[in-house]
This record gives sequence, C-alpha cells and structure tokens, in this order.
Amino acid sequence: MRRDLTLVIVLWAIVSIVSVGVAVFVMDPFPAVGAEESELIDEAFMVMTYMGAPVFAIVIAVLMIALWKWRASGPPAEGEDGPPILGTNWFPKAWLAASAVLAVVVMIYPGLTGLAELREDDTAEMRVEVTSVSWQWLINYPDHDGIRLSSGAGDEMVLPAHTRIQFDVEALDILHSFWVPAFRQKIDAVPGQTTVLYTTVTETGSYEDDVAYRIQCAELCGLNHTDMAMKVRVVERDEFDEWVAAQHASAAKVR
Amino acid sequence: MPAIARAPIVQGLIFGIVGFLIGIAGTGLVRVAFLGRDGGDWWSTDLSWTIGYPVALVGWLIGVGGWRYWGREWFGGEVDQYEMKGWQRYFGFSPDHKVIGIQYVVTFTLLFLLSGLTVMLVRYELAQSGLQLFNNDTYNAAMSFHGITMVAVAVAILAGGFGNYVLPLQIGAQDMAFPRLNALTFWLVPPVAILLVTAVLMGGWETGWSAYPPLANLQTKPGQVLFNLAVITFGLVSILGAINFLVTVIYERAPGMTWGRLPIFTWGIFAASLIAFFFTQAFAAGLAMILFDRVLGTSFFNASGGGSAILYQHVFWFYSHPAVYVMVLPAFGLILEILSHLSRKPLFAYRWAVGGMIGIVALSGVVWAHHMFTSGMQDYLHAPFLVLTELISIPTGLIFLAAIGTIWAGRLWVNVPMLFALGFLFNFLMGGITGIYLADVPTDLFLHDTYFVVAHFHYTIMGGEIFALMAATYFWFPKMTGRMYSERLGQLHFWMMFIGFQLVFLPMFDVGIKGMNRRVADFPSAYDDFNLFITLSAFFLGASFIPFTWNLVVSWIRGPKAEANPYRASTLEWQVSSPPPEHNFPEIPEVVGPPYPYGQPDVRHVPGPAGAAGAPAGGGGGGGG
Ligand code: HEM
Ligand SMILES: [Cu+2]
Ligand SMILES: [Cu+2]
Repeated sequence: MRRDLTLVIVLWAIVSIVSVGVAVFVMDPFPAVGAEESELIDEAFMVMTYMGAPVFAIVIAVLMIALWKWRASGPPAEGEDGPPILGTNWFPKAWLAASAVLAVVVMIYPGLTGLAELREDDTAEMRVEVTSVSWQWLINYPDHDGIRLSSGAGDEMVLPAHTRIQFDVEALDILHSFWVPAFRQKIDAVPGQTTVLYTTVTETGSYEDDVAYRIQCAELCGLNHTDMAMKVRVVERDEFDEWVAAQHASAAKVR
Repeated sequence: MPAIARAPIVQGLIFGIVGFLIGIAGTGLVRVAFLGRDGGDWWSTDLSWTIGYPVALVGWLIGVGGWRYWGREWFGGEVDQYEMKGWQRYFGFSPDHKVIGIQYVVTFTLLFLLSGLTVMLVRYELAQSGLQLFNNDTYNAAMSFHGITMVAVAVAILAGGFGNYVLPLQIGAQDMAFPRLNALTFWLVPPVAILLVTAVLMGGWETGWSAYPPLANLQTKPGQVLFNLAVITFGLVSILGAINFLVTVIYERAPGMTWGRLPIFTWGIFAASLIAFFFTQAFAAGLAMILFDRVLGTSFFNASGGGSAILYQHVFWFYSHPAVYVMVLPAFGLILEILSHLSRKPLFAYRWAVGGMIGIVALSGVVWAHHMFTSGMQDYLHAPFLVLTELISIPTGLIFLAAIGTIWAGRLWVNVPMLFALGFLFNFLMGGITGIYLADVPTDLFLHDTYFVVAHFHYTIMGGEIFALMAATYFWFPKMTGRMYSERLGQLHFWMMFIGFQLVFLPMFDVGIKGMNRRVADFPSAYDDFNLFITLSAFFLGASFIPFTWNLVVSWIRGPKAEANPYRASTLEWQVSSPPPEHNFPEIPEVVGPPYPYGQPDVRHVPGPAGAAGAPAGGGGGGGG
C-alpha cells in the first residue's frame, strides 16, 4: 500500500510534467495572433492546460498502476476479492476540498479576471458596422465617409493595425455570428438588436498568410452558411489611409 | 384477414395512416370553409402535418395494442392479456420490462448504426475542401440527421434499454411500477424514427439538432415541422419513462433495499430521471412555440413581431444542458457498477458518489447559459454562469474519486466490459477537462462553434456515454440473451474503437483551435491535411462496429449458453437465471446488506453464499429475437 502510494505520486509527477512539456514544447495550436485579445485568450488557454495536466495525470497514474499491478488473469476465485476499502475516512473530504479549490481557482483566474479584462475598456478609436444577411457580410466604415464593402462582391475587409476597433454587429434576417479567428472573439448577429465587439488589432496580416484572417459566420444559418466568409487584411496606418482615399476616389468615379 | 394484417405493427401502421388522413382531411375542410372564397388551398404542408400527425400518432398507438391491452378498460370493456411468446413478443405491446428493455436496445442500436453510416458520408465529404458528395443543402440535412438521431440514442438507450431491463431486477421488483405505460412509452419511439427519416426524404431541415429560430421559423423546408413533431414526441418518451423510473425506485424496492443499499446504476438512472422529468418540457415547449410561429403566425421568436431569437436559446439550453446529464448519469452509475464487480471491491466512497450525482442534478439546472456566451445575451449574465458551470466539476470529481478508489488495489478482471469501463474513464476525463475551456468565458468566446466543441462533446457523449453503452451491452449480454459473447471479437472491437476514436477526435481539437468552424460542408484548403487524416480515422472507427455487430448477432443466435452469474457479481440481477424467469423472482428477495460486499466474508447483499446464484433456472426463453 505504502509503495503503491509512492508509485502513484511518482507517476503523477511524471505524467504531469510530460503533459505540461507537451503543451509547452510540442503543441502549437494557435493560429495567427492578430489582436491584443488574442494574446489574453491564448494565455488563458495555456493556463488551463497547465492546471488540467495534474488532474489528468492523477487519473492516468492510477489507471496505469492498476493495469500494470492489479490485473487478474480471469474471473477471480472464491475468497480472492480485493481489500474492502470503503472510503469512509477523511480521504473523500480532502479530495472534495482539493477539487473545490481548483474549481475556484480556474473560475477566478483565468476566468473572471480574463472576462473583466476583456470588458474593461469600452472605448474605441474607430467604428466598423458589420451587417449580416443570409449569406453575406456587409461592412460599413462610418468614420470614413461611408465606405461600403460586401462579401458578395468579393471585397476584403481592410483594417488599420494597432487600432482599437468597435464592431457594431447587426442581422437583417436571422442569426449569424461574426468571427475572425485571428482576433479570437466572436459575437452573434441578432435580429432586432446591435451587438458589440471590441478588438484591439495589432500586427498586420492577411488571409494569404493565414486563413485565420477571415470573417467566418459561426452560427448555423441554413443553406450557404458554409460560404458566408470574407477575407480580412490588416495593414499599417498609412497604407490604410491610402486605401481609404482610393475607395473614395473609385466611389466618386461611379457617382 | 391474413395473419400479417393482424400483426400489431401492421395494424398500428394502418391505423396511423388512417389517422393521418382523417387529420389532414379535417384540416383541409376547415381551410376550404374559411379560405375557400379567397382561393385558399386546402393543403398546407406545415399545417396539415401539424394536425395530421397527432391524429396519426393516436391511431398508431391504438393499432399497435394500446386499445386492446389498455384503452378498452377506460370505457368499461375487457382488456386482453398479452400472450405472445418467443420472438413475436418483441413486436407487440408487451408490458414486460425485460421485453421492453430489449426493444429499446435493439431499436436504438439500429438507429445508432444508421446514424453512424450517415456520418461516414459526412466525413467522406469533409475529407478535403470543396464539395464532393453533397452540396450545401444535403450536407446540412445529413449533418442534422446525424446530430438528432445520435442525441436521441444517447438520451434513451442506456436508461430506456438497460434501465428498463436491469433496474427492476436490481431493486428486487417484479416489473416497473406502470408496465402498460412502459409499453406505451416504447411504442412512441417508432413514430419518432419514421418522422425523422421521412423528414430527410422530404429534403431534410437546416438547423442541426438545435433548431434555432428565426431560421427554424423562416426556412421553407417542411422537414423542420417533422423534426419538431418528432422531437416533441421524443420528449414525451423521455418524460413518461422518467416518471416510471422514479415511481418504481420509490415504491417497488424489495424489503431491506434501503436507499443506502441501492446499486449505483439504479442511482444513476434515478438521478437522470429526475432531470428528464423536470426539464424536458422546456425543449418541447420551445419547439411547440416554433410550430406556433410557423403555422399560426405567432411571433415568439421573430424580432419583427416583437419576439426574441435569444429567448429560444434560453429555453432550449434550459433543457439541453441538463440533457447531457440525462445521457451521462446512467453512464456514471454503470461504470462504477462494472468497476466494482470486476475489481472485486466495494464501491469506494459510495455515499460521496451518490452525493456527486445529486449535486450534478442540482447544478445541472442553473448552468444553461454557458452555451450562450457569444449569443448577445445580457452581459451581466456571463460571470454567474461562468461560476456556476465551473462548480459542476466538483461533484463530477467525486465520481472520478469513486472510480479510481474502486480500482485501487483491486483484482481487475480486464475483460471486454472492463476495457470499455476503463476507456470511458480516459475519454470522459478528456471531455471533462476540455469542458473547462468552454466554461471560462474568454476561451469560449474563441472556441464556441468550432471543431473544438465538436471534439469536446464527442469525447463526453461518444467517448463517455457510448463507451458506457458498449460496456453495458457486453456486461449484461449474457443476462439478457442467455448466451455468451466472444471475448476475442469483443476485445478486437474495443481496441479498434478506442484507438479509432482518439485518432478521429483528438485532431478535431487542434483544427478547431486553428479556426475551423463547425457545421460546414466546406473549409479553406489550409485545413485539408487535418481533415483527410480525420476522415481516414473515422472509416477505421466505423469499421470497429463490424466485429461488434457480428459478435452480438452470432452470439445471440448460437453463442455458448451463459451461466446465471458469469461474473460472480453480487447484485440481484445476477442471482436469477439468464435470462431471468417471467416475473423475475420466484419469490421477492430480501436484502440484508450493501450492494457490493466484496472482500467482507460476513457481509451479504442477499442471504445465501457469497456471489452464488440463488435462484433456480427458469424459462425466460431468450435467444429468440
Ligand atoms: C464514428 C463516429 C462519429 C463521427 C466520425 C462523428 C462525426 C461528426 C461530424 C463530422 C459532425 C458534424 C460536425 C459539423 O458539421 O459541425 C458531427 C456532429 C454531431 N455528432 Fe457526431 N460523429 C460520430 C458519432 C457520434 C455519436 C456516437 C454521437 C452521440 C451519441 C454524436 C453526436 C453528434 C452531435 C450531437 C452532432 C451535432 C450536430 C449538430 O451540430 O446539430 N456523434 N459528428
Ligand atoms: Cu452562418
Ligand atoms: Cu451545457
């Protein structure tokens, strides 16, 4: 019993360390990091992975020893039962306390703290109106004299780097969901109300570098939900200004 | 009249069709009477189905035996006794819980295999970007059919099948509390399957298994109406079944079977039934409101008429979160049951495990909005639902405590049911830990509606509940059929399924994080490698069901005869012959001790020598169907 316990602790430590090691050095799951919020969310993800590792490891450790040391080769004979350990002592209470502590910890960090951080700043340097209608994205730049883009026309949503942007999201018919994987967060487009998403865009990037630079509808909206996507390009400020000027020029020509 | 026309199912179908015709004719008449002058049509697919179907359902129930064996007495008539024997008794209105249990298991296993075949096509489509087999429309239909049928299987097969068969035996009862209600409940299932298949044949529906409006209101496909009707009927199955289990456990326990001596599987079914009883009506109500929106022009969910799309999501998840515990609580009970018997140890921390189940029941009702962090609901709801959701990991931890405490220092007989039980622990652990990411708002805003979610819920439902289902199927196969399965084929099935499962669903976490969203027929070609790998693995996983089906069919027909108690297990179902005699126990047993008295020579669950079969062999006549 004593030896088995030591063994579990050793195995637990090993499996925990290996899992964390895999998480740190092998796993590279995240797509392009295009916003400050992405950093926060990726970090929260990793923190939870580190916290999950020992929980995973304790169960795996016991399973490993059980399969290794306590296997019977067939139906056990009369009188060969295992020891009657009923678990009526202090141990379940300790387990309960430990799991409660863990639950409260993840709930606070990275849960509530992360939530607070995402919600803390409701100012923005630029506003973009996102309107969804089956199965298109219509993008409107109210701060730039009403430039209008649409996924149906094959346009690309262009944004200036290092800018905090407020997306005002609307739906004309049914539910859709506004999501740019590079910016991580998503928000549903709900008929009859405007939902808001703040994103602090950082580096430049485009769909050609990483497909995470796309608006992807993330709420099943029927027939062409699959195709309800739009490329996104984040460019430096001066390039953005040139783009705005070019848009105005071509709009003037059309008029 | 030829004999075939007197078969209950045929009569049910005839009465059902007649009922349907009466329903649509009545609807048509009313429509012509009121709309006739404006050139209105007598037929409206939505409305005609909505009225025709309930009438058809009543006709079906009457024809299949509800009148002959039950209904007549409400009007002062004499009812017949159900007398069919052999394989035929599985095709009628039998009130015997053992027959009904097998009816559920077989029906839902067939549905499971059908749904599994469908998803093989879905995976074929997803093997590479672009569209190969399906178009956007048929993809949605196939994906939605797979989703709802699998949900139905997961909700009903453990409780309806094994709960029905085993629970009365485990508590020393002769049958369920309401045997004829039990039969009626089962016979509500075929209409659900028929409706869902018909819906697909009529072009399917577009909303997955979750039927979010306004899409569910506005799409023109009539399949949506059939879907709603099917799922409302299925909700009825769930509620009626739950009532039966609750009353049975409360009132039908054998003398001495105190609450503290209930086998843990029975506790699992009891806890799941509490949830099904309290919450299922919410989903049914939500779906009924969609029907009203469609056929009556109400606007519960249409913003333009003053309704709210988010309202539906609250109603839907108010049921559908608890529903995952309807799926998994019986699985918890079952796994703990198997671990105890096959490790030859008393269940570790029994009271804490029961407490964990009750804790899950209590918390399950107050966490639903964790599915709605991105929905645009009020912002102040995020924090409380985050907190409450994280709390669920505490009672769930107690289940894991009981599991690893039970195998600790045991004598593990690692046969097929045990392998599946251990596989369950691994898979559910993965599912549980990845659930934490979805409960914490910041990460969920990212992961919601991606393949990460698809991987997570397959780990919990398929890796959890379906692995438990496989454990149950092998574990109780000798009891239910009187024959032994092939251990070697069973092990082959386990290893193929376990390895295949990991290869399919582990990469889904990754591709989800990389930005692939769910419920899509096509995706950027950057995700091609992942998806090809997943699809090949899925075919391997699908192939694991060949040895499974082969094993069970062949063993049922000509496997070696099973003993009454092949595992030398302690609980009551093992103390009677395999299969058990007609009324279960020659005389009602008396319970004198805890359910798992392993390793304690002078403790007994029932009087008699430890673990030995106590009852004479009796005629159950299995091996038939
Ligand atoms: C061979 C085994 C299976 C494979 C390869 C598989 C694969 C899939 C795939 C590819 C999807 C569609 C994802 C999407 O387009 O968003 C899906 C959806 C789903 N699956 Fe499975 N699945 C399997 C078994 C199961 C089982 C056993 C269950 C439950 C008991 C289940 C429950 C579901 C549900 C509820 C959905 C969601 C449908 C929706 O979004 O409305 N699946 N599965
Ligand atoms: Cu969509
Ligand atoms: Cu939930």
